Amino acid sequence: MSTPSFMHGNQAIADGAIAAGCRFYAGYPITPSTEIAETLSGRLPEVGGVYIQMEDEIASMAAVIGASLGGLKSATATSGPGFSLMQENLGFAVVGEVPCVIVNVQRVGPSTGLPTKVAQGDVLQARWGTHGDHRIITLYPSSAQEAFDLTVKAFNLAERFRTPVILLSDAIVAGLLEKVEIPDPADLEVVARARPTVAPEQYRPFDYSGSDVTPLAKFGSGYRFHITGLLHDESGAPTEDSEVVARWLDYMQRKLDDHLDEILDWDEIRLDDADTAIVAYGCTARSAEHAVDLARERGHRVGLLKLKTIWPFADDMIERLAGRIDRFVVPELNLGQIRSEVQRVVGGLATVEGINRADGLQISPEQILAAIAEKAPAR
Amino acid sequence: MTVATPPKTTWESLQEVFEIVSLRGPDPIILSSIPYLPSDGHRHTKFPVVLGPPGRVISVAVGLRAALPDTPLLLVTAADSATLGTNHLIHTARRNIGMTLLVLRSDLLEAGDIPVDRTGWASTGYQVTMEQAGTPLEWAIALQASLVGRGSLLNPSELANLIVEAVETPGFSVIGVTGDPTLRTGVMSRRSDWPEYFTTYRAWSEGMVELPTSSIWPVTPAQPRSSAPTRLEVRIAGIGGQGVKLAGTVLSEAAGLGEGLWATQFGDYGSATRGGPSRVDVVMGSKRISYPAADDADILIVLSRDAAAAQLPRARPAAACVADEGTVDPGPGGPLVVPIAQLAREHTGTTIAAGVTSLGCVAALSDAVSLDSLRIALRARLPERKVETNLRAMEAAYELTTVLTGGKQT
Repeated sequence: MSTPSFMHGNQAIADGAIAAGCRFYAGYPITPSTEIAETLSGRLPEVGGVYIQMEDEIASMAAVIGASLGGLKSATATSGPGFSLMQENLGFAVVGEVPCVIVNVQRVGPSTGLPTKVAQGDVLQARWGTHGDHRIITLYPSSAQEAFDLTVKAFNLAERFRTPVILLSDAIVAGLLEKVEIPDPADLEVVARARPTVAPEQYRPFDYSGSDVTPLAKFGSGYRFHITGLLHDESGAPTEDSEVVARWLDYMQRKLDDHLDEILDWDEIRLDDADTAIVAYGCTARSAEHAVDLARERGHRVGLLKLKTIWPFADDMIERLAGRIDRFVVPELNLGQIRSEVQRVVGGLATVEGINRADGLQISPEQILAAIAEKAPAR
Repeated sequence: MTVATPPKTTWESLQEVFEIVSLRGPDPIILSSIPYLPSDGHRHTKFPVVLGPPGRVISVAVGLRAALPDTPLLLVTAADSATLGTNHLIHTARRNIGMTLLVLRSDLLEAGDIPVDRTGWASTGYQVTMEQAGTPLEWAIALQASLVGRGSLLNPSELANLIVEAVETPGFSVIGVTGDPTLRTGVMSRRSDWPEYFTTYRAWSEGMVELPTSSIWPVTPAQPRSSAPTRLEVRIAGIGGQGVKLAGTVLSEAAGLGEGLWATQFGDYGSATRGGPSRVDVVMGSKRISYPAADDADILIVLSRDAAAAQLPRARPAAACVADEGTVDPGPGGPLVVPIAQLAREHTGTTIAAGVTSLGCVAALSDAVSLDSLRIALRARLPERKVETNLRAMEAAYELTTVLTGGKQT
């Protein structure tokens, strides 16, 4: 049983967070993400959680880490300027393996940019915004329904893999009001925070032996351990032992790479007989889906791969498609951030073209249709 | 031959102190930015530690306090890293989350020093003067600390007792940590505590419950009529303060929840709340809506001269266009002119209702959304006292449009 209601993407993220068990939010309001904070400031106290408006986004991210270490599922939301400020502590959460969710509702940048206008310019920042080699999970909804569903998934993946998860959105998905079917709580899969099964004396907060994470003990529950931004051994103690660091690095990659089937998510739309594939995500995927319908009416064999997990990138899926697709078209509200990923995977197997704009306007279905109708460039 | 004993590192000295700190309640959590390597077989600090980026651990403490109301938080800091986080310290103080600060190389009231680090980083690295950094005493005053004192690493048991006393005192405590044997140690001042943020927050939110989501819409979702359009695009354009966005919300919910259609509402508005251009697109139909913009509007309503100038020339020929009176120059071939703002003012007393009033035109021009569904949607979104007047304005626009057009257009 599910309840239909009308909500915009930002509210769906807030409702998804509550449904996923989020009980702490620290943030600093910024357009076009503000409704997430606004909604949670009302909802969290109703469910025994805490909402706090921080002095800035640096502190917001720090407080989210603290609350998560204290046992609460925690999140923050921001837009590009705030996301830049969060990168330092985001890296701390990666290294400390602290589960949390960071929402970035994108607007045009860099800097203050165009505060109310839509963009998808932070896709690579989500991947590489914090310094150093690291893996990260990034999800990206294209509708209010997906905003709800992927928020729940983001919290689940954060717990499952003890990692920060980034949920990208954009000003269009954020402000789009549409129907959302809210599942009955009994039907919703929610991953609870795992608890250590060993006694405090035996507890080690990290395990680099395989690709599975160790349960994170709640601070203040009798388990004495250290969380540090320094590279550390499995007891949590800082180390400069290159052998330990190498094992850590290997584990940190494998903990996501070995479980891609749980992380990757996409929709295939009319791809079965297609010779041309549009690869799109977020608000642009909606223009692309409409463009597919228009192009099909005109006899073009076009389909859409809608990415819902952006990072890790869907290499295998793109590679499989490249075996039977002649042409990839990648519309994005940036200058080609995912196109370069598609190009990397496709190599010389097919042509890859971008449709790009970053001027605050969305890409229309007609613009995509026009590109498809043009003769494909030579490989 | 004598072998010189290397001096202890700061952490080693502090660890000795923590070993003898004995608290009745839960373990304290130690927050710090000072890197340490428990090398040479040296043990971990016995309590849980969060070792974060300089200055930022102060805000980590805010999250920990929200999650763990009764766990003592112990910030171990030197002047430089706390200075990096002064903004956070000020706000943490404002919230009075309750925390004990151990300030190393404290010149609390007078000058002082800590023991030399084995690697030398502490002795050579701490070049920040307290004059530059703000003194721990100034912090103590700014934090409205409940307890201010100084302990010496040369006297671990006294420092341990001081920590226990500070932790058990509600509110902030600031303890200078020194290695200078000439400095006075002990509690230097006490003051009364003041309300802690999360205690106040929890008291405020206690008893708050999730309100049952009540909806005036029928529980069983409506099924679309067979005559429903596959895709119908409506654009309402005007200026901020005409209720354009609310009109879009009401129309999309009437379509989605009243008529059982797929529907989206998308607004495009600038940073200004009033006076700037404001536009809303509602797309509805029996097919799921992918592209939510009404670039090829079937129904176009303009409520300002600027909107008329911008939108009417690009309307497709078959579109049903309605312009508010005074927004276009009268003449043949132009849009249908309806005095929308005037009807709004007449029935509600304000032109903020212009957007909602224009929905009467939409209902008159298309069968997709009935006046009944619009009435329910309006009740769902407007405060009770405004419903009747807005309804009358909307119905007046419906009747006038019907008369002017002689029936439905799309």
